[in-house]
Amino acid sequence: MIVQREGLPVRKRLIISLCVFFVSLTIHAEPNARLGKSIYKKANCVGCHKWHGGGGGSYGGLALSLRTTPLSREALILVVRCGRPGTNMPYHMRQAYKGANRECYGSNSASLGDATPPRARYFLRDRDIVAVVDYVRNNIQGRGAPNYGDCVAFWGEEATRCKRMAQSK
Amino acid sequence: MIGQKNMRQLALAAVLCSAGGALAAESDSVTTEERLLTAASESNNWLHHHGTYNAHHFSSLAEINRSNVGELKVAWTFAIGGTEGGGIHPSAGLEATPLVEDGFMYAIDGWGVVTKLDVREGRGKFVWRMDPATDKDWAGEVACCGVNNRGVALWGKLVLSHTLDGRLVATSKDSGENIWERQIGAPEHGETITVAPLIVKDMAITGVSGGEFGIRGWLEATDLNSGERRWRRHTIAAPDEPGGDTWADDHEAYKTGGGGTWVTGSYDGELDLIYWGVGNPGPDWDRHYRPGDNLFSNSTIAVDPDTGEIKFHFQYTPNDPFDYDGVNEHVLVDTLYKNQPQKMMLHADRNGFLYAINRADGSFIYATPYVKRINWTSGIDPVSGQPLDYDPEAKIQNYAGVASGRGKLKSGLICPGLMGGKNWMPMAYNPERGLLYIPVNESCNSTTTSPVDDDSKSIPREWFTAGGMHNPERFSGSLAAIDVSQGKMTMRIDTKYPILSGVLATAGDLVFTATPDGDVVAYDAENLKELWRFPTGSGLNAPVITYAVEEKQYIAISVGLGGTMPKWWIEAVPGLENVNPSAMIFTFSL
Repeated sequence: MIVQREGLPVRKRLIISLCVFFVSLTIHAEPNARLGKSIYKKANCVGCHKWHGGGGGSYGGLALSLRTTPLSREALILVVRCGRPGTNMPYHMRQAYKGANRECYGSNSASLGDATPPRARYFLRDRDIVAVVDYVRNNIQGRGAPNYGDCVAFWGEEATRCKRMAQSK
Repeated sequence: MIGQKNMRQLALAAVLCSAGGALAAESDSVTTEERLLTAASESNNWLHHHGTYNAHHFSSLAEINRSNVGELKVAWTFAIGGTEGGGIHPSAGLEATPLVEDGFMYAIDGWGVVTKLDVREGRGKFVWRMDPATDKDWAGEVACCGVNNRGVALWGKLVLSHTLDGRLVATSKDSGENIWERQIGAPEHGETITVAPLIVKDMAITGVSGGEFGIRGWLEATDLNSGERRWRRHTIAAPDEPGGDTWADDHEAYKTGGGGTWVTGSYDGELDLIYWGVGNPGPDWDRHYRPGDNLFSNSTIAVDPDTGEIKFHFQYTPNDPFDYDGVNEHVLVDTLYKNQPQKMMLHADRNGFLYAINRADGSFIYATPYVKRINWTSGIDPVSGQPLDYDPEAKIQNYAGVASGRGKLKSGLICPGLMGGKNWMPMAYNPERGLLYIPVNESCNSTTTSPVDDDSKSIPREWFTAGGMHNPERFSGSLAAIDVSQGKMTMRIDTKYPILSGVLATAGDLVFTATPDGDVVAYDAENLKELWRFPTGSGLNAPVITYAVEEKQYIAISVGLGGTMPKWWIEAVPGLENVNPSAMIFTFSL
């Protein structure tokens, strides 16, 4: 009864909430996507994982493919924050591994020793980390081979890379 | 050949430059072959990338000297711009050596934008700017080590410059008009150009970058009268060429064998030979993919300027597993060694040894360590000049066992690390003291090999390193002085960071260089005692020059940190992450 009596207000609240949610998405999704892409470039994800996220070689060694990785959103956030011990994937959280801080994998630099990941040049705020992870999830992860649309989305229609990609189709 | 497309670009450039041309202050200077050969006598100018053909980076100017350098002050500064990023690089750097001719300076930013300044009357006054409209993302995506351009060259009434996307551009000194340009490098194959041209006779010599992207390196000469190619010489030998038997694989590894040529060479007008360093073989860290000595990687080649023929070579690290690029510059010195007159070519290789080579025939004279830690070999054979751990019978060199490779995917600590004991930053030679001043990078690192399948090929524009590096230690630096007639180090001072700027020596008995965290510094040439320091508030990785105008001496440098350290191994140089991009010219005078 209570549920029935309160059903309408609940639905109203739900509708209102959904409206707020979608308005919020409209307002924030685009800037957040731009922020994510901008961080992907500036924080040097593009250096090793490449514009397409497919990874491969660089001075950092072989980077894994973000296109095929099965990592969850939470796992990706963890890896961006904390890096990957024993590899060149850097940590982006300022306090990671410092002193007694064991937020990352329950470890600090004393316990990890040489396996401590390198630090990134640019530390990221949590919202930046979320933005770049969401950028990866929405534009790269699970997307198959990079195509012309991916190229244009990253570099722009006038980019030589994309023009050549179009010509070779 | 200047094609129709290029002609259209020229017409467009002429229109774009017309505004600048109208403002241009004409200079009557013509850079002749004779002037280039005798550049040392024009101490008021800095006509070559390396100052002179012999690359001494020495000036006979002595108004600024040991007794008064403490009074050195900023004379003027100028923001030339060009810090914007492109490709994989969020910002560009400034590694260029500005040139000065008869009161005018020619500076260039990482994207190849040339700025002419009137430096008379104690200031830097804008004259014109030539923007070659570099394809930033296209080139910046395959530029391993930053958005860099190391300088322009002068010939006749032209300024010659390169662009990261592979062009040689000829610009009118007077108007800033783009007179002609030619595509030389191929970014579609991972080739970029960062080197300053070397002018020899009526040719511009161009080198290529891309040793981490599976290129097959080359030098190319452009006829400056016609704008057409005179010759191209590959630096990695094909099977039917001399040295071809040093690629002992069965899968044409030479085609992606690396061998970049990204540091400007030297020239001996009497011997009529160009000396140019050749970079690392590719893939960097899988030497089993490319068994053999891999000529002419990690070598100095002596090249006939008229034909491009390689007259002789000297190889420093055969079958290199360390990324010890052999590109560093060559300082040409005539001196006595063991009471014998020697025509030396001095080369501080990334592998940690300073080599003295007879520049007439390529024979070995001596090698001496200039960096504190070397562990990849136990030394250099005093007769052959080969590393003591080199096995001439082996196709795979193991040296002292610290390298990574197939069967040992992780290396031990390698000293020097892949940045080398010294990188491209030029050293300076004071002929009055007989001392060579070397900017040293005291660093070690380790590497991991990700073997490449022998059946697989490098993918165009993809990295072809077969591994990566790690930096378990912090880097530092030093400034080392070596008596070249003895082959012995006489002095060294330590620095907090590696010295990423070139060195200038002057007849004022001074040695100038700069630090990556922002200071321009002067040392006493006799004892390396610090005499003067100025904080620019930015970062520096460019050579220092000096010039004079209206009988007043100036010290000048490009200010703006870029390159590999902020991009790839910031953990080894903590603090440099706080250096923001900038693109300035700073000059100093009394």
